[in-house]
Amino acid sequence: MRKVLLAALVMVPAVATAQTPLRQAQGEADFNGVWGAAPLPPAAKAGQSVRWLLPLKGVDPEGTDVFKGLDRIQVNNRAAAPNKPDYKPEFLAKVKELSDKQGVLDPAFYCKPQGVPRMGAPSQIVQTPGQVVFLYGASNLFRMIPTDGRPHRADADPSYMGDAIGRFEGNTLVVDVTNFNDDTCLGSDGYFHTEKMHVVERLTRSGDTVTYTATVEDPDVLAKPWTTTPRQLKLSTSKADALLEAPPCVEHDAPHIVTLDHH
Amino acid sequence: MVKRFAVALAIAGVVGGTSVLAHHSFAAEFDINKPVTLQGVVTKVEWVNPHVYVYLDVKDANGKVTNWALSSLSPGAARRAGVTRANFGQGQTVTIAGYHAKDSSNFAFMRKMTFADGHSVELWLGDDEARK
Repeated sequence: MRKVLLAALVMVPAVATAQTPLRQAQGEADFNGVWGAAPLPPAAKAGQSVRWLLPLKGVDPEGTDVFKGLDRIQVNNRAAAPNKPDYKPEFLAKVKELSDKQGVLDPAFYCKPQGVPRMGAPSQIVQTPGQVVFLYGASNLFRMIPTDGRPHRADADPSYMGDAIGRFEGNTLVVDVTNFNDDTCLGSDGYFHTEKMHVVERLTRSGDTVTYTATVEDPDVLAKPWTTTPRQLKLSTSKADALLEAPPCVEHDAPHIVTLDHH
Repeated sequence: MVKRFAVALAIAGVVGGTSVLAHHSFAAEFDINKPVTLQGVVTKVEWVNPHVYVYLDVKDANGKVTNWALSSLSPGAARRAGVTRANFGQGQTVTIAGYHAKDSSNFAFMRKMTFADGHSVELWLGDDEARK
C-alpha cells in the first residue's frame, strides 16, 4: 500500500507538466482549434419553402445551359488560378489524357481519399505533447503526426495520406510527408504523381490565422517543386462550428456516366 | 451576395484549398434537354456523399409502381444552404421536377421537390437576370 502511495506522489509532477499549456512548456505555437469553418445557417423548418442557391452567372435557371454552367464554375476557377504543377515535357500528353478522362479515372470520384496535398488544410487540429492530430471534417479522415523527433516509419505500406512527421520552427509547424501510394491526384486536371512524391506542409500561426501551404517534390515527373497557393484559415470561436460527422461516401453514379464531360 | 457565393463554392470541389468531396460533371449523366416531372411517395432519403439520393415510388395509369432514384448535390452543400435531411419528405407524396439520366434508366437529377401543401425544396441553379 505504501509503495502505491509513493508511486502516486512521484507521478504528480509528471502529470502537472503534461497539462501545462504547450506554448509555455515547450515553446511551441498553439495550433489547437477548428480552422476555416464558415458558420452554418439555421436549418429550414418543417413545411418551410427553401431555395438552395447556386448562382451561375449568365445562366438562365430554366434554360438548357445549367449543367454547362455548373461545369464552368470549376473550369473558370482553375483558369483564374495560374499556379499549376509543372510537368516534364514527356509527361504532358499523359496529363492531358488523364484530364480528358477525369470523369471516369479520378480515384476521388469513387470515394477514395483525395490524399495529401489535394485534401488541403485540416479543419480541426488537436495538439498534444509530442503529437499533432489533423482532422478532416468533410471526409471523417484523420492524420497522426508525431512531433517528438522520431524519424519516418520504415514499416508502413504506401498510403493516401502518406507517413508524416512534424517539427516546430518558431510559429510554424512543418510536416514532412513521404511513403505515398500513387492512387491520388494533385488536382482535377490530370495532375498525377508517383510513389516517390515528397510533400512538405507548412502551417504558420499569426494571431487567429493559420496560413497553409504544401510543397510537392516528385523529381521523376515534375520539372520543379510545386507549392500550393497559400490558404489562410481563421480560428473559429463558436462552439457551433464543432465538426459534425460527415455522411459516408457511397458511389451510385458510375454506371450512369455515359460521356466524358469534364469540369 | 457573400452567402450566395459560399454555397456556390461548396460544390466547386477544391476552391482555394478547401477540401470537399470531388465528383464528376452532371452533364456526363443527365440530359438537360429531357426534363421530367415525377409524382410519388418518397420511400427513402439517402443522406450520403457525394450526392444526396431520394427514392420515389411512382405509380403509372395502370397502377404499376416503379421506384425512381433522384440524385442531388452533396449533404454538406445542402446543410450550408439550411437544407437538412428532414426537409426531403420521407414518406410523403411529392412532385419532383428534374432531368432524366442519359442512359434512360429510372434515374434523374432532382431540381425541385413540391409538397401537397405547396411548399417546396428547390435547387436554384442560374442567374435570374439571365432569364429568357
